[in-house]
Amino acid sequence: MSTYAIRSTLRPLAERTDQEKASRYRAAGIVIALVGLMAAAAAAVASVVVADEAGNADTLAWTFGLGTAAFAAIKIGIATTLIGILVRLWLRVDAIKSALPGLKSSSIADVGTRPGDVETAYGPATVTNSAPEKLAIHRMAERMWLPMIAMGPMVVVIGLGVAIAQSGETDAGTFSDLAAVVQGSQFLGEGLLLAGIAFLLGTILSSLRSGGAEVQEAAGVSVKTLKMPPSAKAFVGLMAAGLMVAMAQFVGYLVATGQDDPASWFAWLGPVREFGLGLILSGIVLALYTIGTVIGFQFDRLSQIIREGR
Amino acid sequence: MEAATIKQFDVEVTSRSPGYNLPQKAGIRLWLPMLVMALMAFPAAVILGIVRADEISTGGSAETIETLRQVQSGVMMVAFASVFAAISFAIARILGQFRKGGGDLQEASGRRVVTLRMPATAKVFLATMMMAMMTLLGAAVLHFVFAADVSGTASSLELSEERFTVLEGVQRLGIGMYLAAITLGLATIAQVLRFQATRVRELTAEEVRPQAI
Repeated sequence: MSTYAIRSTLRPLAERTDQEKASRYRAAGIVIALVGLMAAAAAAVASVVVADEAGNADTLAWTFGLGTAAFAAIKIGIATTLIGILVRLWLRVDAIKSALPGLKSSSIADVGTRPGDVETAYGPATVTNSAPEKLAIHRMAERMWLPMIAMGPMVVVIGLGVAIAQSGETDAGTFSDLAAVVQGSQFLGEGLLLAGIAFLLGTILSSLRSGGAEVQEAAGVSVKTLKMPPSAKAFVGLMAAGLMVAMAQFVGYLVATGQDDPASWFAWLGPVREFGLGLILSGIVLALYTIGTVIGFQFDRLSQIIREGR
Repeated sequence: MEAATIKQFDVEVTSRSPGYNLPQKAGIRLWLPMLVMALMAFPAAVILGIVRADEISTGGSAETIETLRQVQSGVMMVAFASVFAAISFAIARILGQFRKGGGDLQEASGRRVVTLRMPATAKVFLATMMMAMMTLLGAAVLHFVFAADVSGTASSLELSEERFTVLEGVQRLGIGMYLAAITLGLATIAQVLRFQATRVRELTAEEVRPQAI
């Protein structure tokens, strides 16, 4: 495994963290999200205030940009909190590794489960004598979350800059072209950010898999690992589809800038850009569901090791 | 059940695993229906958008175009409310796995079962999520009501435009609240992980309960 991949799972950071202390990532995540929520509220209030004014297009231009940037800020808060969760997961692995020998039943000797496939209450699992190799999709998630989370806000901020420029524009054609660039770029940025969050969830799944195997290997018992559930496969498919739609809508908006009547383009591109985000969000639901399933499986396995010693 | 405080955590002590609490049971049951609803509503909103685009490009009536705008936005809000609800319920399900699994593990070890009481972040998560859902669904219902109210007159179209702008702002606030609620739900998971890592280290030093031997 490359050094970068190890770093991106935040294992080394967890080793330097005092588990007794409250997570600074958790606190930072909440603060960033609240700042984003305040910005979203400011954009909402500004929109409502000018709703009945005739020449409100300039205000609505910057409130759209600010509102979308505010959502990006809250998503950065979510990503920061997920980083805190990732660090805590490794601290949990270390805690269980140190406690398990003292909790494990010694009444039954580990006769060793034969390596192969087994059925569990949480789905099919594999039994091995040592920790299994990382899945390709997990390696990808570990490499991709940081670039996505870095690129997303940059694109959103560029869109916000264009929105501010748009609000001062007097030529109707240029105003419309800039509106297209704002919407396309900001929703591409949102898509990249959500994809970053999805990759972070993939990295959490990877860490749960590696950490669970590490705990079992250290306890000297056979390593049971849940096979990739269908929900995880659907998560990958939805996220990839959503990211492609986010890129396609950006291209669509760029094409719309060259049209004589962009209104009809805006009419279908608006729902399409939100559909792209909806696909990634649906993928995130399935990732969270999979995380819940894996955690349930791991507790079940730990309880089995404690009760039976194998 | 006994209330206690260990190492900065408010906990409850029991002899058996406490299982899921009510919001976690709701999370387990509701995440999938919400996801299915979202997966139906998002494409429906896209289809309405395409129909509206066709009306615009073929010179359709202003009334139809404005009505479709309100309906399409309403359906999109139902989609977002559903998908964010699904995320919130999936987070509640994860918290349930931690609560039940942590209890089962302690029970299997023969020690007393110490469970974290619902943290403040979890309570605010639930309240904010419900407010956000009501905001988005309220906005969706108003979109449908305003769509039914559109007529071909200039004043009606202007009024619909104003109403649309107000609802856009309200939706923005609703989505922001939902995202903030999700942050708090995840912050609760981080807190539970911290508690469980502390608790599992304590277990080995603790006496096995006589009835468990």
